[in-house]
Amino acid sequence: MHPKICLYFQVHQPYRLRDIRITEIGRGNIDYFDGHKNEQIFRKVAEKCYLPANALMLELLEQYPDFHVSYSLSGVFLDQCREYGQDVLQSFQALARTGKVEFLAETYYHSLASVISLEEYCLEVKKHAETIRELFGEVPRVFRNTELIYNNELAHIARLMGFRGILAEGADAYLQGRNPNDPFRPPDCRLSSAQEKIVREHRPLPMRSRDIAVLLKNYRLSDDVAFRFSDTSWIGYPLHADTFTDWLMQSGGQSVNLFMDYETFGEHQWEDTGIFEFLRSLPALWQERGVEAVTPSQVISAWKKKSAQEYDVHNAISWADMERDLSAWMGNPIQNAALQGIFALEQQVKATENPVLLENWRRLLTSDHFYHMCTKYWSDGDVHRYFSPYESPYEAYRRFSHAIHDLRSRLAS
Amino acid sequence: MHSLMFGWEYPPRHLGGLGVACQGLVRGLLHHGVRVTLILPTESETDDTDVRFPTDAFAEQLHVNSLLQPYASFESYEAHIRKVPRNKQEMYGQDLGQAIANYTELSVQMTEDLHPTVVHCHDWMTYEAGRKAAQYHHVPLVTHIHATELDRTNYSPNDYIYEQERKGFTLADKIIAVSNYTKNILMTHYAVSAEKILVVHNGSADLPPSPAFLQSKLEMKKKHPLVLFLGRMVTQKGAVQFLQMAALVHAIRPEVQFVLAGDGHMFGELILLSCEYGLQDNVMFAGKVGLCEANHLYEQADCFVMPSLSEPFGLVALEAIAHGTPVILSRQSGAAEVIDDCFRVDFWDTDKMADCVLTVLREDALAHQLRSYAPRTLQKLTWQRQAGIVQSLYTDLTQC
Repeated sequence: MHPKICLYFQVHQPYRLRDIRITEIGRGNIDYFDGHKNEQIFRKVAEKCYLPANALMLELLEQYPDFHVSYSLSGVFLDQCREYGQDVLQSFQALARTGKVEFLAETYYHSLASVISLEEYCLEVKKHAETIRELFGEVPRVFRNTELIYNNELAHIARLMGFRGILAEGADAYLQGRNPNDPFRPPDCRLSSAQEKIVREHRPLPMRSRDIAVLLKNYRLSDDVAFRFSDTSWIGYPLHADTFTDWLMQSGGQSVNLFMDYETFGEHQWEDTGIFEFLRSLPALWQERGVEAVTPSQVISAWKKKSAQEYDVHNAISWADMERDLSAWMGNPIQNAALQGIFALEQQVKATENPVLLENWRRLLTSDHFYHMCTKYWSDGDVHRYFSPYESPYEAYRRFSHAIHDLRSRLAS
Repeated sequence: MHSLMFGWEYPPRHLGGLGVACQGLVRGLLHHGVRVTLILPTESETDDTDVRFPTDAFAEQLHVNSLLQPYASFESYEAHIRKVPRNKQEMYGQDLGQAIANYTELSVQMTEDLHPTVVHCHDWMTYEAGRKAAQYHHVPLVTHIHATELDRTNYSPNDYIYEQERKGFTLADKIIAVSNYTKNILMTHYAVSAEKILVVHNGSADLPPSPAFLQSKLEMKKKHPLVLFLGRMVTQKGAVQFLQMAALVHAIRPEVQFVLAGDGHMFGELILLSCEYGLQDNVMFAGKVGLCEANHLYEQADCFVMPSLSEPFGLVALEAIAHGTPVILSRQSGAAEVIDDCFRVDFWDTDKMADCVLTVLREDALAHQLRSYAPRTLQKLTWQRQAGIVQSLYTDLTQC
C-alpha cells in the first residue's frame, strides 16, 4: 500500500511596523503599523500568489474527486483580507464551497502566546475558531500552533480545547528513525488544576477530545517543494511532478504530510520557476496512479490509535530554521526584551477593557516582529533577511520598543 | 615576493586612518612573508633616508624629503611652505603640484636599485611615483584608494587632484578599494570598470572587549550618558550633523553629554554652532586626542556616532566596537558594510540619527547586544586575513 498525501498550506501576513519616532510617544492615538506598506505587500502577494493559486486550486478541486487540501489562515491575515483584499477572501470562500477543503485552527494573532501566556493563547485560539466558523461555515477540529510550535503539553492543551488532531514538525531528534508519515499520539500529560481551569473557561470547542492525533510534517519532501524547487545547485533540480510522485509513493506510512507556506506558490518560488505548472500536474498524476490527497481530518478518521506510537517532545520544537526550536524568536537579548516587554502589559491592557488598546497590543504579539529581530544568520544573508521588511534586526527592535513605550504611556494616562 | 610601496604617512607619524591602514596592511603582508619597502614623504632637517622601526623589522622604510602631508590641499600646502626658510623652499617645491613632482622624481631615483615584484601605491599623491616605478621595473602596478578627492571635498574636487586620481586608476593593473561604497564612487565618478577593482576592506588590529568589561557596562547606569564623535573637524566627517543630532537628543534627554574629539579648520565654527543650539553645557570639545585618550573616550561612551558625509571606510567605527561601544554609522560609509550589529542612517537624516541614539540610551538589552555582538566583526576582519587577499592579488598579477 502506498501512502495518501495530506496537503496543508499556511497563509499569514503580519502587520508590519511603521517608522515610529520617539517624539511621537505619548501623543495619543498614534498608529503603530504601516498601513501603506502592509497594503502594498498584501496586494503584491495577492496578485503573485493568493489569487492565481486559489484559481488553480479551485480548478483542480472541481476536476479531481480524490483531491483535497487544507489551509490555516491566520486571524491577522483575515483582518488584512477585510482591509485590503475582499477578492482574496472570496476566493478562499469559493474553495470552501467545494466541500473538499479543511480550514485549521490556530492562534488568531499568529503569536507566541503558547510559550508565555496560557490565557491569551486560549483566547486567541477561541477567537480564531469563531472567525473560521463565521467565514467558512465550519468549526475547525484540527489545530496547528503558530509556526508549528509544539511539545507534549501543547498537544495535551489542544486535546483539552477539543481538537482531535494537531500538526507538528517531524523532527529527527524525536522521531528517532521512525517514519513521519504515520500519525502519532502524545504521551500522557497533566496540567495543574489552575491551568486546566483556564483552558476549560476559554475552550473553543464544546467538549474536550478523548484522544489527539499528531500529524508530522515530512520536512524532506515538503522542503523539496518549498525551499529547493528552484535551487539549481540541488541534485534533484529540476523537480518533475512524476519524480516527486515516485518519491511520495515510496515514502511509506499512512500519509505523507506536506506542510508549507502557501506563498511558496508564486512568492517564494516565482511563477517563472514553473511552480504553478508543477502544482497543476500533480493531481492528474495522482489520480492516474491511485494516490488520494486527503485532509488532516480524513487522515485522523482512518487512524488506528491503538497501534499508534508515541511522539515524546519535552522541549518546544517548531518548523523554523535548521534548529527547529524557538531560537528564531527567542534567541538574542533584544528578542527576549521585546517579548517580555510586550507580555508584561497583558493584565494592564486587558483591565482597561479598551478594544483599541487590546487590538494594538495583540497585533504586537505576532511572531513575525520577533523573527525580524533575529540575528542568527544575519551576517550570512539568510532567509531572515529575505523576509524582513526592515533594514536590520535593530531597526525592527527600535520600532517595536517605541510601540511598547507608547502603549505603556497610553495605559498610564 | 617584494612589494615596493609608496605611502603618505605611517605611525607614529600620522594624522588619520590612512597611516593606520598602511601599517596594518604592511604588518599583515610581512606576516605572509612578503617583503615590503615603503617610501614615505617626510619633512626633515637631516639627510637620513633610511629609518627602521623595531616593530616592523622587515619592512624597510625609505623617507623622501618632502613637505607633503596626508590630507594636503593646495591651500594647506601653501600655508605650510611659507613657514619654511626661503633657501629650502625650492627643494620641497613651491606649490603642491611641484612638491608632488619632486617627491615622485626623488622617490623613483631612490628605488632604482631595488628589484620589486609589484608596485603598490596609496592614494593620489603617490600615484605618479607608483606609475614611474612600475614602468621602470617592468612590474604590475596596484593603486590602493583609501579616500577619493570627492570624499574629502563633498564632491567639489580640485581638478588637478581629481585628474591625478583618474590617471592613477587608468594606468593601474588593479585597483584596491577599501569598500564597495568606494568601488561605486570609482565606477560612477571615475568611469572605472567593475572588473578592475578589488574590494579589500580595512582590517582591525584590536581585540574584542572582555566579557567582564561588557558585564560591568551592563550593570553601570550613568546619570549622564555620553555620546561620542571622533574625527577631523572637516565637512567630510559630519560634525555639523552630529551637533544637529545632539540638539534633538538634548530636547528629549537634557542630561546627555556629547564629546567631539578631533582637530580641523572647522573647530571654531563648530564651537559657535554648539552655542547657537544651546548645547554649551552639554558639549565638550576634546581637541586632537592620542591613542590612549581615544581608547578612554570609547570606553566611557554609551554610543558612538559616525555621521560622515562620505566615508570610504571609517576605521574609527572598528575602534569603537573594539571598545564595546554601540555604534550608529552613516550609510554613506564603508564600515557600515562590514559591521552588522549597528544602526545605519543617512548622514542627512539627523532626526533618525537622534532617534537611534535615544533608543540605544533607553534600551539596555539593545545596548548590551550591540556592545557584545558587534565585536564579532573584528574576528572576521583581521589585517592578516585582509593582507592575505592582497597577497593573492600580487600572485595573480605577477603570474599573468
